[in-house]
Amino acid sequence: MSENNQFRDVFDAIADPTRRRLIQLLAEAEETPLHELTAQFQMGRTAVSKHLTILKEAGLVLDRKVGRETRFRLNAFPLKEVQDWVAFYSKYWSTNMVRLKQLLEEEEE
Amino acid sequence: MSLSLSMNFQFTTTIEKLWSAITDSNKLAKWIAENDFKAEVGHRFQFRHQPSEWWDGIVNGEVLIVDEPNRLSYEWAVGQEKQTVTLTLQDLGDGKVNLHLEQTGFSNAQGLEGAKYGWSSWVVELEKMLQQ
Repeated sequence: MSENNQFRDVFDAIADPTRRRLIQLLAEAEETPLHELTAQFQMGRTAVSKHLTILKEAGLVLDRKVGRETRFRLNAFPLKEVQDWVAFYSKYWSTNMVRLKQLLEEEEE
Repeated sequence: MSLSLSMNFQFTTTIEKLWSAITDSNKLAKWIAENDFKAEVGHRFQFRHQPSEWWDGIVNGEVLIVDEPNRLSYEWAVGQEKQTVTLTLQDLGDGKVNLHLEQTGFSNAQGLEGAKYGWSSWVVELEKMLQQ
């Protein structure tokens, strides 16, 4: 389990393109202050901050105060849930495709 | 942005045989599950898998597109999840046929239907992150 108190669904958190972009930006850096993140978007500081809060609630983002600024860091672990979920379908089809291949080979004989 | 599970598979066969394998009910039973599938637009069908700890095994579907032997698309509902599966066949020559599978319309686990996610590009990013 995540050390964060995760009370928002991770699927909900990544449903928004701005938040996916934020995850991407945070994945590229160790720690990023809010003003640097805000500079990447058309929207204002408050809006970006709201998106970060949602990511935080899902345990995807950790923050830390350094002097007067807040720095954000990615915690990718909760994304594992998303990957597991997609992996089910991926595995499902891969297994079926092996059987389809066998079926087509049998027909050749 | 495209929002889907996207996979490609290659088979050594003809496009006609592959088409038959993905549309003929008896053949589908051999590689997916027991079913009452018919390649007719609007036809409603069920795939009945062995129930497992994941789910009751029932997939309810409706055929959306039949473009023999190039493309087949159907709606696919498992519990509250409703997705679209599209199979596109392409003759690669040399006796090879590519089957492109796309499954779109993933909603979130809590049943917030309609929410869609950009899997094709997203999963690549995801894997990169999880490997860090």
